[in-house]
Amino acid sequence: MSTRVKVLLAGALLLAVMIALFAITGSHGMNTEYQPQNEFKLEDWIAIHAGSVNLSINKAVLYLLLACGLTASTMIYVARRMHERPNKVQTAVEVLWGVMRDNIAGPNNIERQMALRWFPFIGALFLFILYSNILGYLPLPVNSGETFRLFGVNIPAFQIYAATANISVTLVLALMVWVSYHAVGVRRKGLIPYLKSWLPAGMDSVPARAFMVPFVFSIEVISHFVRIISLSVRLFANMLAGHLLILFMGGGLVVLVGVAALGPLTLVVATLFFIFEVVLIAGLQAFIFATLTAIYLGGAVAESH
Amino acid sequence: MHFLLATTGSEEMAKSIKAIALGVGAGLGTIGPGVGVGYIFGKVIEAITRQPEMRDEITSIQWLGFALTEAIVFYAFIFGLIAFFLG
Repeated sequence: MSTRVKVLLAGALLLAVMIALFAITGSHGMNTEYQPQNEFKLEDWIAIHAGSVNLSINKAVLYLLLACGLTASTMIYVARRMHERPNKVQTAVEVLWGVMRDNIAGPNNIERQMALRWFPFIGALFLFILYSNILGYLPLPVNSGETFRLFGVNIPAFQIYAATANISVTLVLALMVWVSYHAVGVRRKGLIPYLKSWLPAGMDSVPARAFMVPFVFSIEVISHFVRIISLSVRLFANMLAGHLLILFMGGGLVVLVGVAALGPLTLVVATLFFIFEVVLIAGLQAFIFATLTAIYLGGAVAESH
Repeated sequence: MHFLLATTGSEEMAKSIKAIALGVGAGLGTIGPGVGVGYIFGKVIEAITRQPEMRDEITSIQWLGFALTEAIVFYAFIFGLIAFFLG
């Protein structure tokens, strides 16, 4: 049987299952009770309020702590038991380390001296974002708004949520990077030469200098501020969109529309999308964030760009 | 259009217009990145067939470009969803 016949048969089977399901269950009409945005609502578990600032422990804090703890403990564990002949785990971590050294903090992005000094920061960012992204795809019992009973105990429903699917977390990470690369640039060159180095090379010889220099400089200022937004929103939007699509395809849409027959089709899409997210996007977004950090840090101390 | 006219309450009306806006916005938002991702991979194939020995270097830049471009799809999608559910 050729591949095409197999694919056609699978499609026909899916269609038949859907039609049969529709014949049995029919349509229940639009569901107005189910609020998809509640999946991302942060409920205070342990309320801590300092004045008007809300420092409560909630779902996002739990995910942050989990990602922190797992990153630190697994990496320290692997580092403690280094062997002459590496086992599988050590090999995997060494490959990851090689990616961090040669690609992320590589000589194309950042000069060698800076790379050595900032490697712990960039590497920790990469690993932390990688861990929190991948943790975001494991269903954990954290949905306190929705519970089910098991052996007489109310257990929160399983759901997927990631610390990086929250704009505050990615914004703090981006601000950390932003402040540190400016600080490095100012410390290396001094404030005025650093601001001058934002201008592209050859600005001294352009016509109408008195007009062009402030104009280009203001564009550069805007571009530096846009870096905060692009760095934080890229990671946040990727993770949130991934989670939303998995949520909708993995059952949310069926519940909202009230047509159970849609289930088989959306489940296939959800599975494919889940694999795409876990295999490609989770790692790639961590890689991008760390690479851009290295590029910004390298650019801040480079002679001119 | 029939669906819009059939809804009587102004809230229902606003919601359906928002839903259409979300669909159109997110859909239009995929055009640019779609072109961009295709362009990146096309150029990568071109570059590697010309200089196969540069493959490793090109591949790492390729993923950087891919992720930067692909994220733009989600900008449109996420801001549409934020406007739909929270606006």
